[in-house]
Amino acid sequence: MPGVAIIDYGMGNVRSVKNAVECRGYDAVITADAAQIADASHIILPGVGAFESAMINLRRGNLIETLEGSVRRQGKPMLGICLGMQVLAKGSTEHAESRREHQGFGWFDADVVRIETVRADLKIPHMGWNNITKEREHPILANIGDKNLNFYFVHSYHMKCRNKADVVAFANYGVPVTAVVAKDNIVATQFHPEKSQDSGIELLGSFLSWNP
Amino acid sequence: MLKKRLIPKFLLRDGKLVKYTRFVDDERMAGNPVTTAKVYNDYGVDELIVLDIVPSEAPRAGVVGIIERMSEEIFVPFTVGGGVQSLESVNALLRAGADKVSVNSHAVRQPAFVSEAARQFGDQCITVSIDYKQVSPTSRRVFIDGGREATALDPIEWAQRCQDMHCGEILMTSIDHDGTMRGYDLDAIHALSARLDVPLIVSGGCGSLQHAIDALEAGASAVAISSMFLFTDNSPIKLRSHLASRGLDVRVSTSSRN
Repeated sequence: MPGVAIIDYGMGNVRSVKNAVECRGYDAVITADAAQIADASHIILPGVGAFESAMINLRRGNLIETLEGSVRRQGKPMLGICLGMQVLAKGSTEHAESRREHQGFGWFDADVVRIETVRADLKIPHMGWNNITKEREHPILANIGDKNLNFYFVHSYHMKCRNKADVVAFANYGVPVTAVVAKDNIVATQFHPEKSQDSGIELLGSFLSWNP
Repeated sequence: MLKKRLIPKFLLRDGKLVKYTRFVDDERMAGNPVTTAKVYNDYGVDELIVLDIVPSEAPRAGVVGIIERMSEEIFVPFTVGGGVQSLESVNALLRAGADKVSVNSHAVRQPAFVSEAARQFGDQCITVSIDYKQVSPTSRRVFIDGGREATALDPIEWAQRCQDMHCGEILMTSIDHDGTMRGYDLDAIHALSARLDVPLIVSGGCGSLQHAIDALEAGASAVAISSMFLFTDNSPIKLRSHLASRGLDVRVSTSSRN
């Protein structure tokens, strides 16, 4: 039976994502296996940690080609979460001690850059609950009222999109922080829906019933 | 904007929820950690902190099992710590479902561990937990091994060093205030929050709704609370609505139980 493939590439807490998906009554498998990913109806790319390690692990598991096939060519809906959103950009400046940028998937015309706070009392990482403001509508946010658009963030870098149409929502942290991006069958959140209680579970439910 | 966080703090001893005063006195049993965590999830708390207080080399299977069961029941972030001394232990707790791991005594004994762990698991994953006492009217010192061993470190300088080593946040606990319910150590919160760029969670002494307000207004990003939630009728729901009514920016809980 087709379910959700949660991509396992050794970056962070995938168990929470599975628990959150299952509490909405969907089947989920944590996997790096191309056949299981091909069988899934929806794909979630989670991720916590550093950009460079994530890309190394994804390349090592041949997962970039697998996802190119399932998501870009076959059009399966995919949700990227946190670092799983950031890797979809062209590149990141995180831990880039050399001047070379780390290469990402390049699915979004965007770079991942450190959040530049403008006030001393705004700490980095941007850690905790923040509200988001919609730039446009998207099915994954359709069932959540504006006052409940509160999600759990934990990150020091964020995606800067060159194409404004890719941005679905920002969070305000003194500066606008890119919170949700979407294009075609791909959507991604900087925050963690699996850790954002009722609002996050609702978002995951909407994603899992989304058939673009 | 970013919300101030309300964080129940659990101490585990042999898988049971316990609470002390000043770390050692007056042990009280406080129930089953998994069911209590589930209740707090339903109350709409912002996070949880779980500390296993009997130090050991590696996280014991029992603790890992409790963390796994908690992660099935709660959909807010949680930090786990207690006796963490190796990258393998950090990994085991993260794989069990923890979102962040807190490091305390081992960070003091081997400071490079903080940067190693941050590098491997991401800065945001590593919380440094600092327990301290006022040792004279003008000085505070960091204590390790559950408050049993004094060090020469000043907690504020130590917190700044940990930040330089890329920890994601600081959990600061006043041993003198712990379990007393007479209010947080506001002087220390003022001093530390002014010097810190990473978020500061404060712990030790919350006994009233006003105490939480005082700590947040003194500069804390989050308040950790155990006695007040466990032993009084001030629930997370009551605290949240009180903070909101006083103009503090807290999350509006969507729970139907509120």
